[in-house]
Amino acid sequence: MTTKSVIARPERTTRVAPSVLVGIGVFAAVGVYVLVNSIELGLWTSLGPGPGLFPFAMGGVLVSMSIVWLLQELRRPTETPEGVDRGLVIAVVVSLAILAAVMDLLGFQLSMFLFLMYHLKLRSGRTWTSSLIIALAGSVGAFYAFNYGLNVALPVSAFPPLNLIGL
Amino acid sequence: METLNELLGGFASAMTWQNLIFAFIGCLLGTIIGVLPGIGPVAGVALLIPLTMNLDATGAIIMLCAIFYGTAYGGTITSVLLNTPGEAASAITTIDGYAMTKIGKAGAALTIAAVGSFVGGTIATLGLVAAAKPLGELGLLVGPPEFFALMVVGISLLVALAGKSMVKAVISGALGLLIAMVGIDPVAGAPRFTFGMDRLLDGVSFVAVIVGVFGLSELLSHRKGAATPTVHAPNFRSLLPTSREWRRSAPAMARGTGIGFGLGLIPGMTGSVSSLLAYGAEKKFSRHRNELGKGAIEGVAGPETANNSHANAALIPLFTLGIPASPTIAVLMGAFLQQGLTPGPTLFTEHSEIAWAIIASLFIGNLLLLLLNVPLVGLWTSILRVPPSILTALILLFMVIGAYTINFSVFDVFVMIGFGLLGLALRHLDIPLAPMVLTLVLGPLMERSLRESLEISQGDFGIFVNRPISMVLIAIGVLIICSPMLKLRKPKALMEDPET
Repeated sequence: MTTKSVIARPERTTRVAPSVLVGIGVFAAVGVYVLVNSIELGLWTSLGPGPGLFPFAMGGVLVSMSIVWLLQELRRPTETPEGVDRGLVIAVVVSLAILAAVMDLLGFQLSMFLFLMYHLKLRSGRTWTSSLIIALAGSVGAFYAFNYGLNVALPVSAFPPLNLIGL
Repeated sequence: METLNELLGGFASAMTWQNLIFAFIGCLLGTIIGVLPGIGPVAGVALLIPLTMNLDATGAIIMLCAIFYGTAYGGTITSVLLNTPGEAASAITTIDGYAMTKIGKAGAALTIAAVGSFVGGTIATLGLVAAAKPLGELGLLVGPPEFFALMVVGISLLVALAGKSMVKAVISGALGLLIAMVGIDPVAGAPRFTFGMDRLLDGVSFVAVIVGVFGLSELLSHRKGAATPTVHAPNFRSLLPTSREWRRSAPAMARGTGIGFGLGLIPGMTGSVSSLLAYGAEKKFSRHRNELGKGAIEGVAGPETANNSHANAALIPLFTLGIPASPTIAVLMGAFLQQGLTPGPTLFTEHSEIAWAIIASLFIGNLLLLLLNVPLVGLWTSILRVPPSILTALILLFMVIGAYTINFSVFDVFVMIGFGLLGLALRHLDIPLAPMVLTLVLGPLMERSLRESLEISQGDFGIFVNRPISMVLIAIGVLIICSPMLKLRKPKALMEDPET
């Protein structure tokens, strides 16, 4: 990232990018949902402003700004920046979701060890030695540092055999 | 005199060995975050909040403040040695900093940057000491309508100044407010936007949201091809600038301090704007302006002093009025709230000892950073030699721990993943993230003051324009929001602000 790349601006184009249209649609839909939900919550009570008043205002802002944005895009479309590395996004998001799903079952040490091994050995192709050292430090090392050094409890496995051996 | 006594009391508390260690660890971690190009100060501070959870409030905030201004120091190192800003506020330093590296003067550039940062940070902290009491007392006079109006001004400024499109900034701000409203309504007790999930009754974890939106999305938006940089630490002898370089740097540091301090007080202004304007000031006023861009020491001294002066000055509105002036300060404010401290005028009446200990720690932290940064430059550069794949894995590890340990629930890890994807989408759509984090923190306070005001006035919205202070503040807020219609042009530095 250089100074030049940091301050680069997207170029102008002639058509509204599909991703921009989807984005505007999603924001408008969220705004409408909030408006409807806020009315159900109650805008005003006998005691004064109700729980729905403030969200209602925000829903209104979201819907109106989405409309203004759409009009701006139709008049002068902006080109969205180049796409992301989908492989990276999928690998990171899916591995994180699996880690979160199994962390309470397998415990922090085992699940984080496997997570780090996946990223270091499988994804990045690092050597077995460096992968094992880093994965052990990041799982077992972090567990003991947080549990005993900082008094912050990370989860242990819900399975008795793993639990009994301290995992 | 009373202020001096309280400050001395603050020093006594900040200089206990525990608090000195917290400040030291905070400076160390802040510098590392600043050095690492993949993680910015907002996510960095949020990520490390769990480390402070079991500390007492004073120690926790001292450590987080040290992390915060430590990032400003650390960002310089990569700017000078690698032409890559570790954080956005140091982006402009790359021009002359890297040019100095190419001519063998990296050591002098790093030393001047560290000294400038120390000077700017210390003078801004003195400003905080001077302003704390009077502004705090003034703040005590304001009621819910004025407080609401003050937050309207703060948010309007950030929305107006963030990014290139105000419409997108408003969307970002509205999203932050809506996220803040998830959970039990504080007044009526009704669940809002919980989708029937009990876990959402307490709201969405602020740390998980920030780590997702700022940290994970940054990591996900990386593209292929990042190689381990080749970097060489300057030797100890070359760290000493010549007397000519000192003389040339002094006026640039003075200008940088003034610019950073002034802009740091304004909500919505980021450290990057201060650095850009400080560089602009050097281009205009420096005697050696023709050398700028070719390795002029003024091009390092001015911006680096400005961004640290800015970082410390930005704490003034937080401490005295409870208004965060930047996204990172908003995260700090979230940490204050988690520790049971409400930043603002009541901080000096209800938690005076803690407030002054934190202020005293700012002086200590700035000194620690000066002592740490220059001699340990070899250590910081060795961090840069760690391959990106290892750094990514370790950052992910800390993100998971950070999100999990707030409520000790894997649900928050899922929240972080979800907001990481939202952050990625917002980046793709060029929607600024800064207004979102500000409204996320201010949302509950803003709603409470709005509802309290309307309860006082029995539902009459006129309360906001019938009281003089709130009327003026609301008028300023409206003027700021309407500025595009009035054809008021945004300064060029703000259009180029990489932080928003």
